[in-house]
Amino acid sequence: MIISQFMTQEHRDCDTEFAAAEQAAANGDWADAEEKFMLFANDTLRHFKREEEELFPAFEAQTGNSEGPTQVMRYEHEQVKGLIGKLAGAVESQDKDAYLSLCESMMILLQQHNMKEEQMLYAMCDRVLPPELKASTLEKMKEVEI
Amino acid sequence: MFNQNGLSLDQAPPISVVLRFFLSGSLFGILAGIFILFFQNNIFNIHSPEALTLTHTFTLGIMLSFMFAALFQMLPVIAGVTLKFPIKKAQLLQYPFILGVITLLFAFNFTHAWIFMLASALLGASILYIVIIMLKNLLKLPNHSASSKGMSLTLISLAMVILLAFYLTATLSSFNEGSYYLQVREAHFSFGLFGWIALLIISISFQVIEMFYVTPAYPKFVSGYLPLKIVALLTLGLIISFFIENIWVLIDIFLALILTGYALITLKRLTQRKRPLTDATVWFWRLGLSALILSMLSILITLFSDNTLFSKLSYIFFATFALSIVFAMFYKIVPFLTWFHLNSQGYFTAPMMHEVIHPKTAKKHLYIHIATIVTFIISLFLPQFIILAGLLTTLSFGWMTWQIIHAWRLYIHTQKTGEKFDMGTI
Repeated sequence: MIISQFMTQEHRDCDTEFAAAEQAAANGDWADAEEKFMLFANDTLRHFKREEEELFPAFEAQTGNSEGPTQVMRYEHEQVKGLIGKLAGAVESQDKDAYLSLCESMMILLQQHNMKEEQMLYAMCDRVLPPELKASTLEKMKEVEI
Repeated sequence: MFNQNGLSLDQAPPISVVLRFFLSGSLFGILAGIFILFFQNNIFNIHSPEALTLTHTFTLGIMLSFMFAALFQMLPVIAGVTLKFPIKKAQLLQYPFILGVITLLFAFNFTHAWIFMLASALLGASILYIVIIMLKNLLKLPNHSASSKGMSLTLISLAMVILLAFYLTATLSSFNEGSYYLQVREAHFSFGLFGWIALLIISISFQVIEMFYVTPAYPKFVSGYLPLKIVALLTLGLIISFFIENIWVLIDIFLALILTGYALITLKRLTQRKRPLTDATVWFWRLGLSALILSMLSILITLFSDNTLFSKLSYIFFATFALSIVFAMFYKIVPFLTWFHLNSQGYFTAPMMHEVIHPKTAKKHLYIHIATIVTFIISLFLPQFIILAGLLTTLSFGWMTWQIIHAWRLYIHTQKTGEKFDMGTI
C-alpha cells in the first residue's frame, strides 16, 4: 500500500493548502491568498508530474494498457490545470467572487478525480506492480520537482 | 471498467436529462403548494383523500422526480454505471411517469376502479422499467463501492414500494378483498420513506459529503453495512407482519435509532470540513439532518403515545429532511453541471458556478424554506397559518423552477454565442 499511502497523503495536503487559500481570499487578504494559492498550485502540479512521468508509465508498462485509466486521469489533469490558470487570474485581479466561484468547480472536479485515483488507480498500482518496482517508482516520484 | 468510471463528457449524461427531472419535480412542488391552499388543514388527516393526494404529490411528483435526476447523474459518477441512450430512456420514463402521477392524484379524489388501474399501469411500467435497467447495470459491476451497493438496495426498495402499491390500488379498485391491506399499506409506507427516500439520500451522501465539503470518509461499519441493515429490517417487517401485525412498532424503533445515528455521524462530518467557508448548502444539510433526528424522535414518541401532534410533526420533519437535502444537492449540482458541460465542450466563455446560481440566491431560498417549515409547524396550533404555508411552498418551488430555467437559458445562450476552443488541437 506504499503508493496509495504516499499519494493519498499528497491529495490531503493539497486539500488543506487549497482550503487555506480559499479562506484567505474570502477574508480579502490577497497577499496571503496569493502565497497559499501558489503553494497549492505548485504542489498540485508537482503531484500531477509525479504521476504522469513516473507512476502512470510504470503502470502502463506493467499492464500493457495505456488507453485505460491513466488516459482518463491525464485528461482530468488537463481540466484541473485549466482551472488553476483561471484561479491565478482571479488572484491577480483580486476578484473575490470569481475566485470563490472557481474554487467550487475546482473542489468538485478535484475531489471526484482524487476519489477515482485513491479507490481504484492507486489500489491497482499497489496490486499489480512488483515490490521492487513499487519502491523504485516511489523513490523516483519523490525526486520529481517542478 | 475503470474508464467507465468518470465524469468525463462521454460518460456524464447530457445536462437536459438531469434538468428535465429537476424541472418536473419543482413544477409538482408548485402544484403541492396550490393543493395546500385548497385542502388547508385537511392535509393533516393522515388517511383523508386530501392527505393522500398531497403525500403522493410530494413523494412521487417531487421526490421521485428529483431522485431520478440524482440517479441519472450520480450513477456514472459514483457508481461507474453508464446508461446508453440516456435522453431516450429519460423520456420513456418521464412522460408516462408524469401522466401516472396526475392520474393517481385524480384516483384518490374520484375513486373509480379504472382510474386506479390506469395510474398503476402508467406508474408501474415507467418506474419498474428504469429500476430494472439501472439495477441490471449496477449488478454487472465487478467492484462495488458503499454508494453503488446502497443505490442497488434503494432501487430494490423502490420496486417493493411499487409492487406493494399494486396490491393497495387493486383493493381500492375492489379487485381483491384487501385482507392484508393494513400490513401492506404499512410496508408500502415504510419501504417508501426509509428504504427508498432515506436510503437513497444516505447512499449518495457517502460520497458527496466527502466530495463537496472535503470531510473525512464515513467509517466502514456505517457505509458498508447501514443500507443492508435498513433493507433487511424492512423485509423482516413485511414478512413477520403477516403473522404479527404489531411487528412494525419494533422495526420502526430500530429504523429510527439507525437513522438518528446516521444523522449524528453526518453532522459530525460536517464539522470536520477542511473548507471552513459555510455556504447555504451546508446549512441545508444541517437543517435536513436535524429534521431527520426530530422526525425520528417524533416517530418514537408517537409509537408510545396516542399523541397526534407528534405524528403530524414526524411528517413535517421528514419532508423537511428530504427537501433540505434535495435543495443542498440542487445548488451544487446544477451550477457545477452547467459549468462542467460547457467547459468540457471547450467554451472559453462557460459561465462560472456563481454566475449560474449565486450563493446569495441559494441563501434566499434557504430563508424561504425555513419560513415554510416554521409556518407549517405554527399551522398545527393556529390553523389559518396553513394558507401562508401553502403560499410559501409555492414560492419555494417557484424559486427553484426559475433557477432551472435560468441555468438552461444560460447554457443554450453560451452554446449559441460562446467562444470555443478547438478541442481537436489540444
